[in-house]
Amino acid sequence: MAPGKTIKAKIKKTLPVTGPQAPTVSELMLWYCMNTNTHGCRRIVVSRGRLRRFIWILLTLSAVGLILWQCAELVMSYYTASVSVTVQFQKLPFPAVTICNINPYKYSAMKEHLSELDKETKNALETLYGFSEGKSKVRRDADDWNATESKFLERIPLLKFEDLSKRTVTEIPSGNKRKIETSVFHQGSSMVNTGDPQDVVGFQLCDPNNSSDCAVYTFSSGVNAIQEWYKLHYMNIMAQIPLETKVNMGYSAEDLLLTCFFDGISCDTRNFTPFHHPLYGNCYTFNSGENGRVLTTSTGGSEYGLQVVLYIEEADYNPFLVTSTGAKIIVHDQHEYPFIEDIGTEIETATATSIGMHFTQSHKLSKPYSDCTETGTDIPVANLYNKSYSLQICLHSCFQRAMVDTCGCAQYAQPLPPGAEYCNYKKYPNWMYCYYKLHEKFVKEQLGCQQICKEACSFKEWTLTTSLAQWPSSVSEDWMLRVLSWDKGQKINKMLNKTDLANLVVFYKDLNERFISENPANNIVILLSNFGGQLGLWMSCSVVCVIEIIEVFFIDSFFIIMRRYWQKAKKWWNGQKAAPLQVNAPAKEGHDNPMCIDEDLPTFNTALHLPLPQENHMSRTPPPNYSTLQLDAAFTDPLPDMLEGRSH
Amino acid sequence: MNFKRYFIRVLHRLQKGPGYTYKELLVWYCDNTNTHGPKRIIREGPKKKVIWFFLTLLFASLVFWQWGILIYTYLSYSVSSSLSIGFKTMKFPAVTVCNASPYKYSKVRHLLKELDELTEAALERILQSKHGDAISAPPLNSSETVSQRLDLKLWNQIPLVLIDESDPDHPVIIDLFETNQSGSGTQPNNSSPALSNSGAPGCYDKWYILQSTSILSKVPLQERIRMGYQPEDMILACLYGAEPCSYRNFTQIYHPDHGNCYIFNWGMDEEALISSNPGAEFGLKLILDISQQDYIPYLTSTAGARLMLHEQKSFPFLKDQGIYAMSGTETSIGVLVDELERMGYPYSDCTMNGSDVPVKNLYNEYNTSYSIQACLRSCFQAQMFENCGCGHYLFPLPEGVNYCNNEDDPDWAYCYSSLRSSIRHRQFCIDSCKETCNDTQYKMTISMADWPSEASEDWIFHILSYERDLSTNVTLDRNGIIKLNIYFQEYNYRTISESAATTIVWLLSSLGGQFGFWMGGSVLCLIEFGEIIIDFLWITIINIISWCKGLKQKRAWAQYPDTPPTVSELVEAHTNLGFQYEDTITPCDEVPSPGALPPEPGTPPPKYDSLRVDPRAGIDSDSDVEAS
Repeated sequence: MAPGKTIKAKIKKTLPVTGPQAPTVSELMLWYCMNTNTHGCRRIVVSRGRLRRFIWILLTLSAVGLILWQCAELVMSYYTASVSVTVQFQKLPFPAVTICNINPYKYSAMKEHLSELDKETKNALETLYGFSEGKSKVRRDADDWNATESKFLERIPLLKFEDLSKRTVTEIPSGNKRKIETSVFHQGSSMVNTGDPQDVVGFQLCDPNNSSDCAVYTFSSGVNAIQEWYKLHYMNIMAQIPLETKVNMGYSAEDLLLTCFFDGISCDTRNFTPFHHPLYGNCYTFNSGENGRVLTTSTGGSEYGLQVVLYIEEADYNPFLVTSTGAKIIVHDQHEYPFIEDIGTEIETATATSIGMHFTQSHKLSKPYSDCTETGTDIPVANLYNKSYSLQICLHSCFQRAMVDTCGCAQYAQPLPPGAEYCNYKKYPNWMYCYYKLHEKFVKEQLGCQQICKEACSFKEWTLTTSLAQWPSSVSEDWMLRVLSWDKGQKINKMLNKTDLANLVVFYKDLNERFISENPANNIVILLSNFGGQLGLWMSCSVVCVIEIIEVFFIDSFFIIMRRYWQKAKKWWNGQKAAPLQVNAPAKEGHDNPMCIDEDLPTFNTALHLPLPQENHMSRTPPPNYSTLQLDAAFTDPLPDMLEGRSH
Repeated sequence: MNFKRYFIRVLHRLQKGPGYTYKELLVWYCDNTNTHGPKRIIREGPKKKVIWFFLTLLFASLVFWQWGILIYTYLSYSVSSSLSIGFKTMKFPAVTVCNASPYKYSKVRHLLKELDELTEAALERILQSKHGDAISAPPLNSSETVSQRLDLKLWNQIPLVLIDESDPDHPVIIDLFETNQSGSGTQPNNSSPALSNSGAPGCYDKWYILQSTSILSKVPLQERIRMGYQPEDMILACLYGAEPCSYRNFTQIYHPDHGNCYIFNWGMDEEALISSNPGAEFGLKLILDISQQDYIPYLTSTAGARLMLHEQKSFPFLKDQGIYAMSGTETSIGVLVDELERMGYPYSDCTMNGSDVPVKNLYNEYNTSYSIQACLRSCFQAQMFENCGCGHYLFPLPEGVNYCNNEDDPDWAYCYSSLRSSIRHRQFCIDSCKETCNDTQYKMTISMADWPSEASEDWIFHILSYERDLSTNVTLDRNGIIKLNIYFQEYNYRTISESAATTIVWLLSSLGGQFGFWMGGSVLCLIEFGEIIIDFLWITIINIISWCKGLKQKRAWAQYPDTPPTVSELVEAHTNLGFQYEDTITPCDEVPSPGALPPEPGTPPPKYDSLRVDPRAGIDSDSDVEAS
């Protein structure tokens, strides 16, 4: 036969084959059970006795259940991550070290801006606590008091609470006693019980447009109240000073750094990048990588780290703004913004602070394993800092944005968003009230910043071990101070005091880099092989079996049922036309008889697909009214290659 | 002969495959294999047959692809880490305490006298240069007389110079004791061995250390130990848990940087002490006296005790990992042992005991274990010897090498500083040293408080002075006294241990899982497949043989008309026999053996697909029935 003809004939013959071969669903099931590759099913059919069959049904069903359960567990645990820790010994990049003086600006340079504020602060202290810096000064201040108008206190009056429960207060400048009706915010009062309510000091912030809308902030100690009050005014004043002036008022690199060593080699102020921090003034970053070059160390130990001697001019400190002396340093990555106010380490004067570092690098898996962000581009908060994303940056940016939206101006401690300007009460008289309200909301997570901001997926961390020693030692103090004074001598003409100096050593304890990374615990290959293991263990099943099940239980059954209904409909239609033919019911029975009668216990022969016993002759043949039999007719046709395939 | 017969029989047995044509073989395989796909191919209708054929192919290729991934994963030797945190009874770490100053000034003054005088004079000179025109001012008379008094021998080896960088292109180098301006116009860092330092104190430190190193390296070790701080002077009180201890519990070690150091619980001769309770009460409490008055003024400007926690039998590298304790304070150190246990080769590139590192560990003389610091230092010392011909004073000596000093090796200091700043040499050492597989770090939480308090100061000083010197005078003061508490924290260990993420068991079960998932197969199925291939080969061989025989026969026929029975007939006989035999031993035979199926003419008409073979079976040949 020509190949084309064969195909044609084949198509012709097979065209009627539109559905499965079994005529009824139960036969299909039986056929499936006998021929499937999964294990339990066959047992059900070939088992003798009801009990045994029942047990097999139960077992098969439980195996299916177990498979479903275990596979569900596998899928649920798919997105878990395993942690791997690797340690590498290698040349390490030295981190950026940012050093700031705790005092932001030289007090002498700030005098002209702050003199009025300081005077009022002193006055307030005197009226509150009867504290004064000496008799003559008091008199002078008292004169000034009468002469000048106290504009700062007027704007935000400091209040002394006579009785918290009665809410009667004394206003500090005027001495007026009055009752307040507004809500009282206790700063920290939930933690500390303010035993004597008479000592409570606070200040009141009012919405200037609506004077009844006021908030009173109380503090358990006057120290906090005065500092907070001072800081508010200070930020107001600073917001009005242009950046350039502020930089000039701060400490220059030559002022701050006396000596510098790195990796056993001398370095100087050129290795430090200046950076202006709103709260800490001029800060200097060592190894900031600004020209694309990051220093590395190939040797651990204090000898090979960064050694600097800092000059802390204690006498030039602002007495109300800063109450501690020293410097603040932070070790960070070159691309990170140094949040020195949040996570800085303080350095004491007259001591040598040695900071040993261990380097740890961590990497988390992002979605769907955990909710972190790789670059921060998917966070709807604009990064106000010119540095790579971090959670801190996001929170600060988010707050600043909210501040600009609600109060119309930007908070001083954070960078300016485009088009905004810093708050000061010349232009924005109610910003402080607004700020406090907003900050309250921010802390209580009502602004939604904490929900929007996600942590960064990868971060570098330097674990610091800080230890202190006395420096200079009593015997070397003499020459040390002399030489350092000489060093400094070009600019100032005085002998240094050891409380003006701080020695700082930052070094790698060892060059082991710990790299902690999350890896997916599962991948699709492992998941599938686990599936395979489960399927195989309980039922010796595979994807093929699953496809079989779909094929038999859904597609074929559907066809059979459809055909049944089709035939019924046809019969009904025929019945409408002519007398109904009584063929279907007995034929089915007869057809089912040999294989599927339960009372006739399934013998081994039936299990082995044996045909019916000998005595069942051709007479038993059911009437050929099934569509399948048409197929049979097709197959008996001598089509050699098809026969071959069909029979095997 | 016997053997040959046996061999032939075996061959014949092997020949008995399930069919004698490729088609039969394939059909038989598809029908009888335990992998799930092939059976479907031959059991289904023609359309589905095609679908099943492609599905089977697809699954087979999927299986092979995933196997490739799995094997690749296995060969990448990844590890999985497990972390455990808690408290357990652990060995208390070895505690090394040193004084920041290596020697008592009173004992070494005679050696350093000249140097000190020189330094003082130089200082004087520098400080004077502040006044007036610093650089070009002629030396004052007073300093001239000073310099005449001094022995300038030391000076001339490494002169201190003042570099005027007011003109950055032509720095002027001025020797402090020479009136002439020597190195005008030379670049200090390139052409002459000058080290430029921005800060004068740092420069002094370095210079002084170089000089004193050279002087002290000539002093024998015993003498140097005697010049350092003695244990009974330094360790005033010691309490471990509830048990008193004394300076005798400390092992003395000579550390080149810090002089005499004392190690508690080093575990060299005795069993290491264990601590089974957290908290300061069960830790080590020490009171130290560092007697700051006796410091060498120019050598160390930092005052305090240097201490370090390390493992038993490891050398303390105080410069790297040591911390300071400040005098006049009580320093409390809470310890968390952070261990990292790693698998060795091939999982990670680390060394178990350092025996496979090409650098000879010079710290073996202390009987200490390998560490990366020891390796780096040994490597540096070896390079130092190679380049400069002598050993550096800070590191132990290899055999047959002497320490550098100014007399024997006049240019050692230059050689040393150029070697130290050479990136290439450092990189060489970093490359040749490997880290240890078990890495233990002691994480410390340090807190400080003033000690003794003003109220208790009196009696504490009295008692301690009495105990040390048996005198009623107070010989101690705030500047010298240090209290130390070292103890385990509530959680005293954090262990990260590695285990192989992919073992051979994992590999096998994953391979099995994949094969099972896609095709329901197992190793036996692979063996089945191998068997089929063998059969295939046999059939091929038989075909070739029969073809050859046929060819021969044709020729023979041309010669002899009567022929012997053909080979193919013989083969058929064999095949039939073997087929029945094979059928009974098929290992994972789930299909009911249709061998027993008699071809019945009176069989009822088939209702099932599988049964439909019957009518045809009667028509077909015997072997065909068996194959179905």
